[in-house]
Amino acid sequence: MNTVAQMALVAAVGSALGLAANALSPHPAVLQQPVLSAAESGGGACAMPASDVVSRSTSAPPPWRPVRIGVDEAKGLCTACLAGFVDARGPHEFAHGHIQNAVHLPAAGHPDEAAVIAQLRTYALVVVYDGDYSCAVADDVAGRLRRAGLPDVRVLQGAWPAWVAAQGPSAAGMCGACGAEAFGK
Amino acid sequence: MKLLARAARIILGALFLWASVTKVPDMAAFAESVANYRIVPPSLVPVVAAAVVGVEIAAGVALMLNLWARAAALLLAGLLAVFTVGLASALGRGIDLACGCFGGTDAATWWTVLRDVVLLGLALGVAASSRPDPARAP
Repeated sequence: MNTVAQMALVAAVGSALGLAANALSPHPAVLQQPVLSAAESGGGACAMPASDVVSRSTSAPPPWRPVRIGVDEAKGLCTACLAGFVDARGPHEFAHGHIQNAVHLPAAGHPDEAAVIAQLRTYALVVVYDGDYSCAVADDVAGRLRRAGLPDVRVLQGAWPAWVAAQGPSAAGMCGACGAEAFGK
Repeated sequence: MKLLARAARIILGALFLWASVTKVPDMAAFAESVANYRIVPPSLVPVVAAAVVGVEIAAGVALMLNLWARAAALLLAGLLAVFTVGLASALGRGIDLACGCFGGTDAATWWTVLRDVVLLGLALGVAASSRPDPARAP
């Protein structure tokens, strides 16, 4: 048997083995169900936590939670300069690429945070994003901005991958205030 | 030289066997990792994810037992080439994704790409050093 035939046989046996392993897995992939990438999955990426639904049904005022904003709406606001954008990722990720005119405000803090917040106050709406589908870092930073008194802070649904996938306006380059320090220069 | 080739074959086989074993407990998570590369149509992702794991198992076992080692190594080289191109393409586009390589959720970096390139070289080396030998075929 030649090598190509052997490869085909190993691939066929392997595929059958894989399907068997999937059937035996405690958390199998559902074969009939399409799996979308996190950036394409509106429900899976930065979705409103299920606990929000519960908190709305109680009589006590619910604690503030970052409201999500869809990437299409955010793109429109970005193009029209109607919202301030905050990048909550690390300095290297920010330098590699970020939403156009976004300010860098990582979870660890910013050397000139008061000035950044003052700049953001000029916008009626501020959109925070990070690079992870869970949006945990963006949620933290959004909470910080909210506590600083910004009236309308939202978190970008789908995070940076969704923005890239939607081909939103972006730029590259390090953060002016913290770049040199963060890059050890 | 023969000893080195044998060691490379066994290491490559063990590595892929280990990689596949770490994925089996949560195949759904691995399917999500595959989807995040955005190179497979969503409807095919679960089947492709299962097939990838199975091919890793079959090729890993074949390499360790020295059965059709050349074919197994070439198959793994093909998988590694796809992984490497997919990862590099995603990182180049600024997509933040988990590699899904060893069942973990660690973010992929350019180091992951470099590791895949090294493994690709190893797989091609194993394929080159394993002569097709019909007499050995089971």
